[in-house]
Amino acid sequence: MRVDGYAPIEDYALIGDGRTAALVARDGAIDWLCLPNMDSPSVFAAILDASRGGAFVVQPSIPFDSSRRYVPNTNVLETTFTTARGSVRVIDALTLPDGRLEPMREIVRSLEGLSGAVPMRWHFAPRFDYAAASPRWDTRNGRPVATSGAVAMAISSWNAGAASQHDDAVGADFELESGARALLALSTAYAEPLVFPTRQALEARLAYTISFWQSWVAGRGYDGPWRDPVTRSALVLKALIFAPSGASVAAPTTSLPEEIGGERNWDYRFCWIRDSSFLIDALLELNCYDETRSLFWWFMQATAITEPELHVLYRLDGGIGTTEHDLPLAGYRGSRPVRVGNGALEQRQLDIYGALFETAWLYSEGKHVIDRDTGRVLARIADYVCTIWQGPDSGIWEVRNGPFHFTHSKVMCWLALDRAGRLADRGELPARHRDRWRREADAIRAFVEGRCWSDALGSYSRIAGSSDVDASLLMLPIVGYGDPRGGRIAGTIDAVTRSLRHGDFVYRYRADDGVPGGEGCFLNCSFWLVSALARAGRVDEATSLMDRLVARANDVGLYAEEVDPNSGAFLGNHPQALVHLALVDAACAIRNRS
Amino acid sequence: MRDPEPIVSTLWSHLAGGFIGTMVLTTMVRAANEMGLTRMDIALLLGTTVSDNRRRAKAIGYVFHFVIGMVFALLYGVFFHAVGYSSWWLGALLGAVQAVFTATVLLNAILPVVHPRIATPDTAANEVALVEPPGFLMLNYGRNTFLITLAAHIVYGAIVGWTARL
Repeated sequence: MRVDGYAPIEDYALIGDGRTAALVARDGAIDWLCLPNMDSPSVFAAILDASRGGAFVVQPSIPFDSSRRYVPNTNVLETTFTTARGSVRVIDALTLPDGRLEPMREIVRSLEGLSGAVPMRWHFAPRFDYAAASPRWDTRNGRPVATSGAVAMAISSWNAGAASQHDDAVGADFELESGARALLALSTAYAEPLVFPTRQALEARLAYTISFWQSWVAGRGYDGPWRDPVTRSALVLKALIFAPSGASVAAPTTSLPEEIGGERNWDYRFCWIRDSSFLIDALLELNCYDETRSLFWWFMQATAITEPELHVLYRLDGGIGTTEHDLPLAGYRGSRPVRVGNGALEQRQLDIYGALFETAWLYSEGKHVIDRDTGRVLARIADYVCTIWQGPDSGIWEVRNGPFHFTHSKVMCWLALDRAGRLADRGELPARHRDRWRREADAIRAFVEGRCWSDALGSYSRIAGSSDVDASLLMLPIVGYGDPRGGRIAGTIDAVTRSLRHGDFVYRYRADDGVPGGEGCFLNCSFWLVSALARAGRVDEATSLMDRLVARANDVGLYAEEVDPNSGAFLGNHPQALVHLALVDAACAIRNRS
Repeated sequence: MRDPEPIVSTLWSHLAGGFIGTMVLTTMVRAANEMGLTRMDIALLLGTTVSDNRRRAKAIGYVFHFVIGMVFALLYGVFFHAVGYSSWWLGALLGAVQAVFTATVLLNAILPVVHPRIATPDTAANEVALVEPPGFLMLNYGRNTFLITLAAHIVYGAIVGWTARL
């Protein structure tokens, strides 16, 4: 049920082709699409401005209920609309190139009458450049075409009524009887001529797309509990890998709010170094060797300009230039500002060095060879970590009132130097400075054990010398810091649970972070708790929590960044890669210890 | 019929110019690379057409680059002969044209089509590419990349023009 024109965030399913992604609501509206790439300006943004954002709707024109699923083992969505006059099934896909001449990007919406005769409508209202530009309408080859600047979109329809234009939109009403089929296709072009596909080519490409996703899943090798959620997570992660570069986007959306009406609205259409180690780990667990290598190569290419200093995030094309600014959109249910770009780029976050070295370590563990040039770069970065770990930073949560001496950041610096030493032992990094890395790693451990432990809490603390905790401390056993079954880790898990847990969910922290407003519980923290419990040997506790968390996914198995612990409503950008990565890690952690 | 000795001498002058020019060009781009001004790595880019082993690819890529540099020097020579004149500044001008052609067509449009491991803007989820595409004017590799490429090719062209014997 929409509120003021906005569907709940959990109502959205993802379709993607590895270049861009669209969010499809339960009521058949595509409310989010950027062209030509995930980080390009939007053409549909009704999710951020219901009246002006633009959408592509296919739905019954009489009251209806809907149910959904993905076509098994694919990123192709199947929605069944049920009305008093019958039912209709709609298949939605961003199609994949099948070797024929295809449009640059293409959305296919295939309809089939299942029973009765259902009055249907479709409505295509593109709004280019984050709704800043109105479309110019023309007709080409008998099809309505909307253009703005270098972007062009053509809508083709078969058995879906006679299209008419009104109010800067095109649409039609039609009736679909049982057994009848209709087809809508949105062909797009950027800086090139449009390609107009035939119905036969569209149907063949849709069939190819389904078969590709199914064969991709068949080629993965996860064997363990929660197979369906892990497989869905793998498919989400694959869709969020930007195929033209190999980078992985944190989420395909911007500014879905962490609090309804709040201002914690961020653009996640970037690749965070932090996510890399989780992603490499998950890709290896899922036997995605090609994607693993592609991601590692991308990281080494992207970081080449800035090394030994790393940036927190990179654009999907590997660039580092992004400025955060606000868009004049209404925001999801009035949640303003709507931001594009991300100011976290300017921050110093020390934990990313640990993430990079863990990535390299896992890559090497996965039987990949780190070449000599890459080894030299990593050695320079390890030397750099030796010089910076003693400074404060903004931490994993990117607080805007810092910097502080975050315990998690220190541990990740330890991880960086520990892994550098181990890689040098293997001959994958020059060993010249190995002793120095080991000395500094020991110094970091002494700092963490001395300054970041609180006897009063019986736990590691959020910041050196502080008397509170944050959920990133759950990462300590996950990255292999300390004895996972030892007293200090157990005390930390218990302290985080006491202070931050709300039912099955876990808040990041309770402290002020320099940004006004509140937020929900970060879902990755819940899965980190599962992973930490499993590594601490509390497998039954972990299994029980995992079962309940898996049941909290939306109807098609997706998770947003956060959840309102009271209502269960999703908050934040959706779907979020880090949550699905944490789910895969949690499932593997339990499997490996069961 | 022309005496073959001057022809051989002319050919050698072009090849020598191409070799030295490519050496200087490669050194300039590599130095910019080390200074963090660009992520352009021509050896990796060319070498990965035949190998996905980074170390081997780079070695092969350097060989390719020198061969290409000498082939272009011969093409410059054909141009010099056609106009009946050669000089460092005419070579530099050709170098600038070559840089623009390389950045807009050769590496941006043609290489991704024939390169088995490079991504293109059309690469989708059913392919896994290893090498990031250069993009228009090679700007994917950093904002300074085109200026560095332009400068390096101007120097290359100037050397080829300066060493050319007609």
